[in-house]
Amino acid sequence: MKKYTVGIMLMVMMTLVFMTGCGSNAENNGTAVKGNTAPNTANDEKKPEDTTEGSGKDKVVNVFTARHYDVDSLIYEEFTKQTGIKVNEVKGTAEELVERLKREGESSEADLFVTVDGGVLNYAKQNDVLQPIESATVEQNVPEQWRDKDNNWVGVATRARVIVYAKDRVKPEQLSTYEDLATDKWKGKVLARSSSSLYNQSLLASFVELNGEQKAEEWAKGIVNNFARDPEGGDRDQAKAIAAKVGDVAIMNTYYVGQMLNSKDAEEVKVAENIGVFFPNQDTTGTHLNISGIGLTKHAKNKENAIKLIEFMTGKEGQTILTQGSYEFPVNQAADKPELLKSWGEFKSQQIDYAKLGEHNKKATEILNKVGWK
Amino acid sequence: MNVVSWLRRIQRRSNAWVIISVIGAFVALLPSLYILVGLFQKPNENWQHIQQYMLKDYALQSLWLVLGTGTLTVLIGVTLAWLVAAYEFPLRRFFSWAFVLPLAIPPYIAAYTYGSMLSYTGSVQVFMRNVLGWTPDQKYFDIMSMKGAIFIFTMFLFPYVYLITRSFFEKQSASFIENARLLGKNPFHIFFRIVIPLAQPAIIGGVSLVAFEVLNDFGVTKHFGIQSFTTAIFTTWFGMYDVESAIRLAAWLMSVIIGVFLIERLLRKRKKYNASTNRSSPLSRRRLRGLPAWAAFGFGAVIVSLSFLIPVVQLIVWAKWTYKDVLNAKFAEMLMNTLSVSAIAIAILMLFAIISANVVRTGRSLFTLVLSKLISMGYSVPGAVLSIGVLAVFISFDEQLSGFYAWLGLGKGKLVLSMSIAMLIFAYVIRFLAVGYNAVEAGFEKTGNRYTEASRLLGFGMTRTFFKVDLPLIKGALLTGCILTFMEIVKELPLTLLLRPFNFDTLATKAYQYASDEQIHQASVPSLFIIAVGMISVFFYHWLGEKNSK
Repeated sequence: MKKYTVGIMLMVMMTLVFMTGCGSNAENNGTAVKGNTAPNTANDEKKPEDTTEGSGKDKVVNVFTARHYDVDSLIYEEFTKQTGIKVNEVKGTAEELVERLKREGESSEADLFVTVDGGVLNYAKQNDVLQPIESATVEQNVPEQWRDKDNNWVGVATRARVIVYAKDRVKPEQLSTYEDLATDKWKGKVLARSSSSLYNQSLLASFVELNGEQKAEEWAKGIVNNFARDPEGGDRDQAKAIAAKVGDVAIMNTYYVGQMLNSKDAEEVKVAENIGVFFPNQDTTGTHLNISGIGLTKHAKNKENAIKLIEFMTGKEGQTILTQGSYEFPVNQAADKPELLKSWGEFKSQQIDYAKLGEHNKKATEILNKVGWK
Repeated sequence: MNVVSWLRRIQRRSNAWVIISVIGAFVALLPSLYILVGLFQKPNENWQHIQQYMLKDYALQSLWLVLGTGTLTVLIGVTLAWLVAAYEFPLRRFFSWAFVLPLAIPPYIAAYTYGSMLSYTGSVQVFMRNVLGWTPDQKYFDIMSMKGAIFIFTMFLFPYVYLITRSFFEKQSASFIENARLLGKNPFHIFFRIVIPLAQPAIIGGVSLVAFEVLNDFGVTKHFGIQSFTTAIFTTWFGMYDVESAIRLAAWLMSVIIGVFLIERLLRKRKKYNASTNRSSPLSRRRLRGLPAWAAFGFGAVIVSLSFLIPVVQLIVWAKWTYKDVLNAKFAEMLMNTLSVSAIAIAILMLFAIISANVVRTGRSLFTLVLSKLISMGYSVPGAVLSIGVLAVFISFDEQLSGFYAWLGLGKGKLVLSMSIAMLIFAYVIRFLAVGYNAVEAGFEKTGNRYTEASRLLGFGMTRTFFKVDLPLIKGALLTGCILTFMEIVKELPLTLLLRPFNFDTLATKAYQYASDEQIHQASVPSLFIIAVGMISVFFYHWLGEKNSK
């Protein structure tokens, strides 16, 4: 029996060794600055802060990102090509990544936090995982409207959340504001996706800010009353439901229209061709925009490289790659926009402090639960 | 039992086996304990709102999902297992492994696939409009509903019940069934009065995996707009930014699940279904002829089409449109990542599963009973929440070890373990231990204790008995466990998303990226790779099974 017992113990120990072995391996291949730290051990004793950024061949910047588009990788590749700085990514859900940054604290290897939605950017700021981005170039690239007031994050792209309508059944003159969609006029005709969508939460949060809690709740209730069907599917599914005559108008992001028009599926193109894009609230508060943004993490170890990447992403070249690939609106007006975006023309957008969206997100979620927006 | 004899029992049993399983269980438990602590903290101001607007409705919706899916998976899974095990009919051999294939398709991919396929621009309606010139009412195609979700879960999770029950039927039940046949009982009587009661442990094992999967799902429910308990957890976290309450909700979910299974186990405790004959000859299959044969064939064909062929063909069509954009050098790396991480995790996981299942069965006591349930805990919470637990544990490990890292020259305050693949592997192990464990346990239930007892009586120790007697007997169950966990890990999402190191993509994360951004056409390519990997392992499993049975 002894022999076997020893055997099992050995197996378990080997497993453990294997696990830790993998650990250090990943560390080697991975990201960080290990190659540099080794020769610097002596210095480390005195100056643990001394990172060897920029020296040697390990020029890196580590990104935690909740944006999953292939176009982002294209931008990173272009950046690496031009600067020699390697971009490492961990992709995840924004809220989870914030939680990870929070728990990792000072030790975190992440330099940048990239995500969609201003609310989450502000959530990251509130959780104290970001620091100010100090760069004149970035300030030049990105208008003040798209920057956090303490420069904890800057916008890289925006998406307008608009009303789309059935070209054959609805005339654009019938449309005016988001608020109008909640009136009896549209009973049984409105389509939207579920309340677990961040886009809807942010839209409602913007109403809490602009019109107050009471009005926002009335609006949400009105929309729920006007639903053509229970919320389901994503933004594209709302457009399809218009084509299928389930409803006449839908709340959706513009860039999905762009993607559908360029889809490989001929039927999707047909659907997109038959819906019209309407930018609401032009005479009042303006069209709601979600923002994609980028924040510098509080304990960024490769700060200089990180700022270089932000500068590149918000610069003309980065912005052109971005908008051409994803049909989002660039924050830098120098960018070369796709024809489709140009064809929609200029429009008035909500002038709103994005920090407020984050603050109201919880309220918005509560309202959505309360009025039974599934 | 008095204290002295109890202590003596502990002393008698405290060999390496017990020690390893206790340590394993404890480590596996750390993240779960971390989550459970949430129950004992004072609720914050959001809790009122959550209770009022979410808790009851969302829990009820989850209950319907689990009941609906559970009932249907048992009906379909057990019937198919019985058909394959007890009868000969056209294409039986093909069906016997084809019924496992749906497991290779992640339910959320299936949901997106069926959703798109049946949508206005999907192939079904396009065919009707463009070829038949008929625009049908949308309500007939509304798969994004509770019924639709139950359909998706049933079609893509029934193999759990099928697999575990079938391997049980093939060996265990032969003598009972042949006796019943000799006594002239009709097939229905045999099925309902003998087969089902006999297979109860296997069915419960399989259906509990199904229930866990359904309860933890966020992909299908989110896409279909269903408010399940997991939706509540994520709304609390992602909408109200309240991690604390989200963990609290997860802790509730976890305790309810553990409670249900403890009760089930206590109720079943007195019954033992081990074979009492010493011959474990396989069931001899009867040949079906005429209508019954075609009915069996037809049923199998419908199930295979719905749960595998149709979605896969659709994915292939989409992949033809997009593969050029998606397949690149990184793709091969992704495939390697997926395979190597799974292999390592499975090796560790099965080892612990075998050790603890062996301890549990040889010493039946409250202690081992609790141990066995604790091991399954990782499977009972949503992956994203479990990942916070794992993260917390690893970061605190790293803090403990920071002196050691500095001594190694890695620099101060470095995260070594928690920035490495070790964290992800650890998470896989504790999350899927239940899957491996259930399979091994079902294997032990099937072989019974008589050989083990004989071996012990003849003076072999527990370890020697294990290697000489037990292990060869449960080889099939081990393979089942490996295949099941492999497919789970390949499909796994929330843990991989959050706990992976930099630049570490798997097929599942890539598929999810596209699907979540409504690029289902692009998602088809990585999805097909996941399915292919799953298919290969099913073939391999089947081939080994055939070889062994000869």
